[in-house]
Amino acid sequence: MKTIKIIAILCLFSTSYASSQTMNWENQQAFKGHIVSLSFGWDYASTWGIGYGYQLNSSLPIVLKADFSTPFGKTNFDDFKVKMGAEIQWFKKGAFAFSTEIDGVFRRYENPHARLLNFGSYMSAIAGYYKPKWFVAGEFAFDKAIVTHVKNSEAMREFYPGIVDGWYDPATGGNFSYGIQAGYTLKQNDLTLRLGKVIAQDFETEPTVPLYFALGYNRRFGQ
Amino acid sequence: MSSCEKAPSINEEGNLVPKTVEYDASLPAISVNGTLLHAEAFGNPQDPMLVVLHGGPGSDYRSLLNCKKFAENGYYVVFYDQRGSGLSKRESKDSYSLQVMLDDLTGVINHYRSSPTQKVFLLGHSWGAILATAYINAYPNAITGAILAEPGGFKWQDIMDYVGRARSYSFTSETLNDFMYMDQFLTGNEDQHAILDYKLGLAQASDGAPDSPIGNEATPIFWRSGAIVNRALFDLGESENPDWTTNLHEYSTEILFTFSERNTAYGLSHAQHVSSAYPNVQLEMIRNAGHDMLAFPNGFNNFFPLALNYLNNH
Repeated sequence: MKTIKIIAILCLFSTSYASSQTMNWENQQAFKGHIVSLSFGWDYASTWGIGYGYQLNSSLPIVLKADFSTPFGKTNFDDFKVKMGAEIQWFKKGAFAFSTEIDGVFRRYENPHARLLNFGSYMSAIAGYYKPKWFVAGEFAFDKAIVTHVKNSEAMREFYPGIVDGWYDPATGGNFSYGIQAGYTLKQNDLTLRLGKVIAQDFETEPTVPLYFALGYNRRFGQ
Repeated sequence: MSSCEKAPSINEEGNLVPKTVEYDASLPAISVNGTLLHAEAFGNPQDPMLVVLHGGPGSDYRSLLNCKKFAENGYYVVFYDQRGSGLSKRESKDSYSLQVMLDDLTGVINHYRSSPTQKVFLLGHSWGAILATAYINAYPNAITGAILAEPGGFKWQDIMDYVGRARSYSFTSETLNDFMYMDQFLTGNEDQHAILDYKLGLAQASDGAPDSPIGNEATPIFWRSGAIVNRALFDLGESENPDWTTNLHEYSTEILFTFSERNTAYGLSHAQHVSSAYPNVQLEMIRNAGHDMLAFPNGFNNFFPLALNYLNNH
């Protein structure tokens, strides 16, 4: 549990799925340094997010990432998601490149009936065509809700006194997503767009709105 | 949580949603049309029967128990959780059809009916009022009278128009985001009933939200929201595009049709439009109430005298 707490605290300083930093790898090639991002869009709900990334000075292009996103709404930060991980470019030939991203995810949800805390994972594969001024790529991702703590409200206890709080297993959820990324680059700035479809891990059921969408802005600081 | 304590399973009956009659023998149940329904009746079995039909689809009769009051006033009041709903036995999604829901109602009436001449009234709320109308449309001579509380419509397009208005929230509202955001925490396939039922139960918080157009004072009390029956019947509606008004012209008996003052997604014009499928309608607005007008004291106290007067006059 101590490890979990540390991860959770780190996550508070960190971005997400639809709000993840979307990068033009062509410009990342020669870049080493910091990336700050802002985004808004639809990530199961209308959300906004901030993110930070750091590109390592390594032979294989690696960007360490931390993202925070939260839905709009009257109650601030009762629902949010944080992701920490890395994106690695494994292959590049001409303007074509292939990268993968893996993140640990912590998310919180609360409504008048219950509060849910969840630890999960996010993995994605991205293949695209990257030019200095623009890029377009396809992505495929899996977002797994691995373990979830449920704390029911007094209202739910009134409805069902025998309801059980606690950490629930097996994994309580998982969704695949697939779509496109695109962006326009001007000097140290990127304007990005992500758009795609979400489907549950059984490949049959869908979220209420089975789409994701994000508009983002990145600013690079460094060499 | 101690290290020896086993984590509860998300799919196990009884952890996050109550056990159904299939797993809890202490619950009152009847065996009807090949399934097991959570059901009970109040009053003198010889009195005119009033069958209460809950909404949803997939909700249960817990929020309608105020209607027990009719038993004190000369009616034999029958409640049941519809197939796959509430505390009734869960069934697989492919077992549902609109006809089987009608056959279940026939089975419930036959189970409780004490004589062939016993009067049978239907009291339906929301989806329950649609089911009552589908029954009258199929069997116009079987029912003595009907009280219909705010059905979305009797034609599929009317229902979807109403549902669209009832779920109309600002893009950035807390209620909308609460409804949607949980989709990343809880997913399940059609066999994982418990997790889907719990998720639908969480979503029901929106029925009591202050910014909800339907105007309830709180979330109506419930036992279990049947996610699979809800999904199955909505899917059937979309694929079959039903029209339950085709024979209503044969039903000359007056019906009592009520709508709530605070449900801004409904209103007088929709009530007039929907109720006009019946040739003979007493249309009444229930003041100081939202969509779940039978679940809360203000609405029920305004509804009850109208409904009792209607029953006594038929």
